[in-house]
Amino acid sequence: MPTSSDLLQGTLDLLVLQTLSLEPMHGWGVAQRIQQLSKDALQIGQGSLYPALYRLEYKGWIKAEWGNSENNRRAKFYRLTAAGRKQLESELATWDRLSTAIGLVLGRTAGAPR
Amino acid sequence: MMRELLTRVRFLIFRKKRNEFDEELRFHLEQSIAVKVAEGMPAAEARRRALIEFGGVEAAREECVRQGPGWWFGSVVLDFRYAVRGILAHRWFSAAIIATLALGIGLNTMVFTLVNAVLYKPVPVPGGDRLVCIDNHTLGHPDGTGPISYPDFQDYRAQASSFESFEAVNDDSGILSESGNPPHRYHVARTSAGIFAMVHTNALLGRAFLPTDDHAGAEPVLVLSYDVWQERYAGMANVIGRSVHVDGAAATIVGVMPKGFRFPSGVDVWMPLTPTADLAKRDNRQVHGYAIMKPGVTMRAANAELDGIAGRLAQQFPADKDLGVSVRTFQQRFNGGNIRIAFLMMLAAVGFVLLIACADVANMMLSRTLSRQRQMSIRTALGATRWRLIRQLLIESVTLSTLGGVLGMGLAEAGIRWFDLSTKTIRPTWIEFTMDYTVFGYFAALCIVSGLLFGLAPALRASRPDLAGVLKEGAHSVGKRRGGWLSAGLVVCQFALTLVLLTGAGTFVRALLNTLMINPFVPATHLTIAALQLPQSRYKDADARQHFFDQLLTRLRALPGVSQAAIASDGPGLGANREQIEMEYAPIVNPAQRPWVAFGAQSPGYLDTIHLPLLEGRAFNETDGTPHREAAIVTRDAATRLWPGQNPIGKRFRLYDDKNKATEWITVVGISGDIVQEVQENDPRPMLFVPYRQEGWDRMAVVVESATDPLPAMRSTVQSLDPELPLNDTYLLKDALDHQTWFLRVFGRIFLGFGLIAMLMASVGIYAVIAHATNGRTQEIGVRLALGATMRNIMLLVMRRGLWQIGAGIALGLCAAGPVAHIMASLPFGFARSEALIFLGVALCLASVGVFACWLPARRAAGLDPVKAIRYE
Repeated sequence: MPTSSDLLQGTLDLLVLQTLSLEPMHGWGVAQRIQQLSKDALQIGQGSLYPALYRLEYKGWIKAEWGNSENNRRAKFYRLTAAGRKQLESELATWDRLSTAIGLVLGRTAGAPR
Repeated sequence: MMRELLTRVRFLIFRKKRNEFDEELRFHLEQSIAVKVAEGMPAAEARRRALIEFGGVEAAREECVRQGPGWWFGSVVLDFRYAVRGILAHRWFSAAIIATLALGIGLNTMVFTLVNAVLYKPVPVPGGDRLVCIDNHTLGHPDGTGPISYPDFQDYRAQASSFESFEAVNDDSGILSESGNPPHRYHVARTSAGIFAMVHTNALLGRAFLPTDDHAGAEPVLVLSYDVWQERYAGMANVIGRSVHVDGAAATIVGVMPKGFRFPSGVDVWMPLTPTADLAKRDNRQVHGYAIMKPGVTMRAANAELDGIAGRLAQQFPADKDLGVSVRTFQQRFNGGNIRIAFLMMLAAVGFVLLIACADVANMMLSRTLSRQRQMSIRTALGATRWRLIRQLLIESVTLSTLGGVLGMGLAEAGIRWFDLSTKTIRPTWIEFTMDYTVFGYFAALCIVSGLLFGLAPALRASRPDLAGVLKEGAHSVGKRRGGWLSAGLVVCQFALTLVLLTGAGTFVRALLNTLMINPFVPATHLTIAALQLPQSRYKDADARQHFFDQLLTRLRALPGVSQAAIASDGPGLGANREQIEMEYAPIVNPAQRPWVAFGAQSPGYLDTIHLPLLEGRAFNETDGTPHREAAIVTRDAATRLWPGQNPIGKRFRLYDDKNKATEWITVVGISGDIVQEVQENDPRPMLFVPYRQEGWDRMAVVVESATDPLPAMRSTVQSLDPELPLNDTYLLKDALDHQTWFLRVFGRIFLGFGLIAMLMASVGIYAVIAHATNGRTQEIGVRLALGATMRNIMLLVMRRGLWQIGAGIALGLCAAGPVAHIMASLPFGFARSEALIFLGVALCLASVGVFACWLPARRAAGLDPVKAIRYE
């Protein structure tokens, strides 16, 4: 099972941004969602999730706000900013280009077309 | 991009709170635990598993902090606060370091300010950084620059596109005269009309030149400098429009320039350079060019353009063949040669002082790192990286050096004031000894670099502690051997550098003493000297001049209080002419092989006036120097050098002038005592005297011996003979001699100061090292004493290392001082050849001071009470 350190450099940021593009979420939620969506294939090392969130926040791509969780517990919610959305789009485009190219080199058809 | 930057700045200012992460973490773990409990895990186990899954909490926290902008800044601030605490905690230690650095940095800032002002700083006029001097040189000899001809100047100006303005100055002197004011000779600059507009300076009173003032046939006008206006016209406003004579030609005063304005250099009176037939000749090179380059034009480009123009002119006019153009800054034109060498020498000397200071401080810091080993080890054991330790130590040393620098700035300010006052009378007004941003930049760089310089070695040493060793034992027994080598090396270097500095200072002092001791027989405080220049227009031949001087001397000798009066080409110790000599019966065919001699002309009575004894033969009489009675008096030194082993009286010789034309045969009639005429000359020539009548020069010095100030009477005597004739350059001989030696006095004092400071620093340095080492050996010394070591044994034990270092340092220094003294001796300041006496004296002095510095801690060690010493921890 690959851990986050096996993920391509910068992929963690992309995953976090993609996850937050659906709805604002707290750190625990982000970790859970990535695990679910990848059908448990990707398990985010929780120790490196928070530095990534902080990094994205410092870059101004996501914004943190304190709010109440489902069970009415105070939690920090992250939401994508406009700049973050733009960044996500450009990173997705880059990802598509890259994965198509790698797929071609490896002689496989590229993954599901978007 | 911009947005990202703004976000970063926002986070830089509004920092995240520390507990934010904790709360987020707690929430995360709670969720994790809740999920596990829901799956049926016991609460305690769920908590354990959640923590394991999360990983290192502290590491994650730190990693989060590191994502923020400027996260390192906080730790630098911490280091800085720690440094300040350390400095305050070791108050005396820090004070010693700061004082040492203040001296080192202060001296350097001071000297750099001077060097900057003399050699680099733009002239303080608008556009001064683009102001250049333009002269000609013969192709292939770029060092021998000379003036330009006026037509060439006009062609350069018309054709060159590199310059905003381009003006010509003819440096001349002229006698200003009018009724009611005694005539006086001034530095008159004849300039093209745009000279004031070029440097954007307007007249204080009246007007500067109009563009038409330098046209042919324009009304002759002149502009006064502030000083002339004050001294000659007492600052009266009605001088404007006054008609005066300059060298006998009428001209009108139209303006007075502001105080301190002497552009280009030391000008008293400005007159327009009006074209004359003489000036229009291409081979009559008289004017110096001054120009402001257009912004963005480099000196190299301007020079290349002018060289191109000069090349074209050379093809057109035979007189311009082989002429090149030199574009130079003011500093290069006026402060080249010796001045440049002297100031660079000074900069090198203070560089040495700073190195010594840094070595000193490095040694002190090293001794402190020994006692800090434990602290460093603990920090390393707690996980501090080596870089982190080095950074902290370097921040500490740069803080120290900055504190020292700020203190040194005050010292520098005082030093600059002193130098400013010492050189006020001889320095051009455009040199301003003030600090500018270049100096501040240098100063800041100095503080940081010296901090790194003295901090690096101790920091590297301290940041590599022997962990186990230090934590196990007491700190005093560790690291001694390696620290010893480094600090010993520093001490040796210090003593070597100090010796070099002191030898330099010794050479200066020796030269000064030599010049003060020359010609002791001359009553310098009673001799008054004034220069007279008889104009060709009124004194057409030698007879007319002889007649005037005969009358003048008769009247001067009759003045009350005057005991002697005579004329001479130069006063005693104030220079001489040089020509080549040929002896009778010993012809020399090749002109280059004829020996050079120094000689001066004088009237009868001159030897008595300056109290130079006549040893043999006779003094000059009134008929000496008339045709077929050519005569000379030689000094004893000249007699033995020119006629070794013979009596020169009655011998004949002749002199060759620069056109290789021989005089008549001259007969030696007397031998005088020795006199030094060329004070600052490394290679003095044999000195001869000839009668004035033989030469008939038009510029002579009047020398009067008088108990009271004879100047007013002298002036009125000259006026009574010729009302248009000014008495110039009047001074007491003593003042003139002092003026000649000002350079040696000012710079000798500076170098002596540098040398003494260096010696003090080196001694303090060796004292600190020995004292510290001895402190660390207190127990050992106690044991030795208890086992019966004598006081002498202990003193030797303590001092041995210091003595060895001093010896090595002095030996190294002597090796380096030899070449330095050799270089100095080749400079034309009258330095004696490298003298063993100076070397020996300086080395002895330095050695005794150094030994004393070692002896102090040794005596204390020998006086220890063994019982207490053994228990010393």
